[in-house]
Amino acid sequence: MACLSYAQAGCLALERAMAADPAVVVLGEDVGRGGIFGQYRGLQQKFGTARVLDTPISEATIMGAAVGMALAGLKPVVEMRVVDFALCAMDEIVNQAAKARYMFGGQGRVPLVARLPIGIWTGSAAQHSQSLEAWFAHVPGLVVVTPSNPQDNCSLLAASLECGDPVIYMEHKELWTVEAEVDPTAKVPLGRASVLRAGADVTLVTWARTVQPALEAATAAAARGVSAEVIDLRTLWPWDRETVLASAARTRRLVVAHEAVRVAGFGAEIAATVAEELGIPVRRVGGARIPVGYSKVLEDAARISAAAILESLLQ
Amino acid sequence: MNAQFAEARARVAEDGALLRSMYELMLLTREIDRVAGKADGHWHACEGEEAVIAACYSGLRPDDFAVPHYRGMLPASVARGADLRALLAGLAGKTTSHSGGRYRSDVCGPIEHRVIGLYSGALGPTLSYAAGTALAAKLDRRDAVTIAVFGDGTSNRGDFHEALNLAAVLKLGVVYVCQNNQFAISTPAARGVGARSIADRAPGYGIPGVAADGNDAIGLRAAVEIAIERARRGDGPTLIEALTYRISGHLVADAADYRPAEDVAAWRSRDPLARLQRHLLECGLLKRDEDERLARETRERVDAAMAQAQADPDPGADALGLQAVFAAARS
Ligand SMILES: Cc1ncc(C[n+]2csc(CCOP(=O)(O)OP(=O)(O)O)c2C)c(N)n1
Ligand SMILES: [Mg+2]
Repeated sequence: MACLSYAQAGCLALERAMAADPAVVVLGEDVGRGGIFGQYRGLQQKFGTARVLDTPISEATIMGAAVGMALAGLKPVVEMRVVDFALCAMDEIVNQAAKARYMFGGQGRVPLVARLPIGIWTGSAAQHSQSLEAWFAHVPGLVVVTPSNPQDNCSLLAASLECGDPVIYMEHKELWTVEAEVDPTAKVPLGRASVLRAGADVTLVTWARTVQPALEAATAAAARGVSAEVIDLRTLWPWDRETVLASAARTRRLVVAHEAVRVAGFGAEIAATVAEELGIPVRRVGGARIPVGYSKVLEDAARISAAAILESLLQ
Repeated sequence: MNAQFAEARARVAEDGALLRSMYELMLLTREIDRVAGKADGHWHACEGEEAVIAACYSGLRPDDFAVPHYRGMLPASVARGADLRALLAGLAGKTTSHSGGRYRSDVCGPIEHRVIGLYSGALGPTLSYAAGTALAAKLDRRDAVTIAVFGDGTSNRGDFHEALNLAAVLKLGVVYVCQNNQFAISTPAARGVGARSIADRAPGYGIPGVAADGNDAIGLRAAVEIAIERARRGDGPTLIEALTYRISGHLVADAADYRPAEDVAAWRSRDPLARLQRHLLECGLLKRDEDERLARETRERVDAAMAQAQADPDPGADALGLQAVFAAARS
């Protein structure tokens, strides 16, 4: 066990995977000096420039090359800096990486991990602050992972590197410096949610950075006599229907909260599933359908607050 | 070409009015760096690259378009006639900015002054917008030109290749200028560009490529003028590579410890501002006391604009403007 930041925890998972498996190779912009968030720090010194490859600013080609590398037997880790820049490589992700296994009946596989951090990034405005996880969860063939804390970032990145399919790995842009104890040998399977707080009156499902305001809201709700069970989904595809449905069957009420725009967000999928299966009341908390503003006032208005979640828990 | 360049360079070297306005823009650029760098660790400083800014954005016609590199967006916008206080208010996200606080003015300049910004936040698409504004002029049978400036790192995006090819095929009136400061964050240009130089790529598109000293405001301006004339004649685009150096880190907050300090010192000694100042003083195009007055006035102008901008009001949350996303309220 060691106290590590979210960025260091991801780095440690990668370092262990690279040491164990020569097929794991990192490529992207500024990875050699450690990545812009420090999530690759020390790896080029340790594994050399052939396995931690600095590339020109060429997102489509970086992703396309990774598809080729994966088809040829490597396990590339693709640095896209933030999900917003991965939009320059959407054909490579959606039409190429996601389809290969199906098209070739399992003969061609694309075991890559593309790191596409999501979320509001302070002071960076509309095109650097998006939470587009639902876009990728919508595409057959992609695994979508959204870790909320250092331990999960270590364990889920390790699991993603083993998974054999293209993984859209979505760290949150404002969690990099969050610190906690991390056991690098602890395993977290993809597709398994984590119950962070037990409760009896309402099930609160969330992921990534929104876990923090969700836990605050649950504490505040408890003081008002409402007991909320908080579930960190951790993987959006495949998502842990079993855990969510079992909890909601007990509490008979569901709230889903995420930073992404509420309209057609992944919360809608969870709410619809729970409503179909259990016929209980569901609510969604999410961003307004508007680009994130630059001014701090506008930016803060786009964040999902504990107060907004609390209001839904109490209704 | 060389005779043409020598003639253009000689003409520019004697054009006191043009050179003084270029010099003023360079002084202004450095002063903006000073105040913005202090206020915002995210500021992308232009130090050492001012000659590119002066050569590209001076002397444009009101109907021309400027598509600036983000490193230089603010001085480019001033050169196009935008108000400095409103631009600085855009750095601080104030209501008095062109965007009312919705986006950063150092990434997107004001469209009302025919300045096009990095609307997607991604590097590269601006080069296609430039083809588009030039195509609009061509379809309207106007001889307005577009000047599009971008970094060495940006030149490795597919957008660069596709835009230059399209501009060449359609003979569009664009002047493409690469502000090659030799780095894309931590990646040296030599590891981003496979060709010997960026100008060397031009023949591949069938257009002229010009390698220019990006710290020589006069020579670079001459190269830009030749390219502008070609564009106005309807003969198509030119690619100019202005070789310079990024003196500061990528951001003010970047220590840039990935490169040798000697390189920075060597390039610091080739300061483009001091070089133009020497020329102006030596040729009697500027007197020493005028120079001192200019420096003082520029400093005071920038300080005053910044103080006003910082005192300007923040937008209220109601300014989120759900009504601004679509033409009608469809949010
Ligand atoms: C498509 C895309 N990829 C990555 C980035 C992140 N980024 C912002 S500035 C920058 C470096 C740009 O280098 P260059 O074009 O040489 O301009 P300079 O910063 O040197 O002026 C990068 C990689 C981006 N904005 N867009
Ligand atoms: Mg550069």
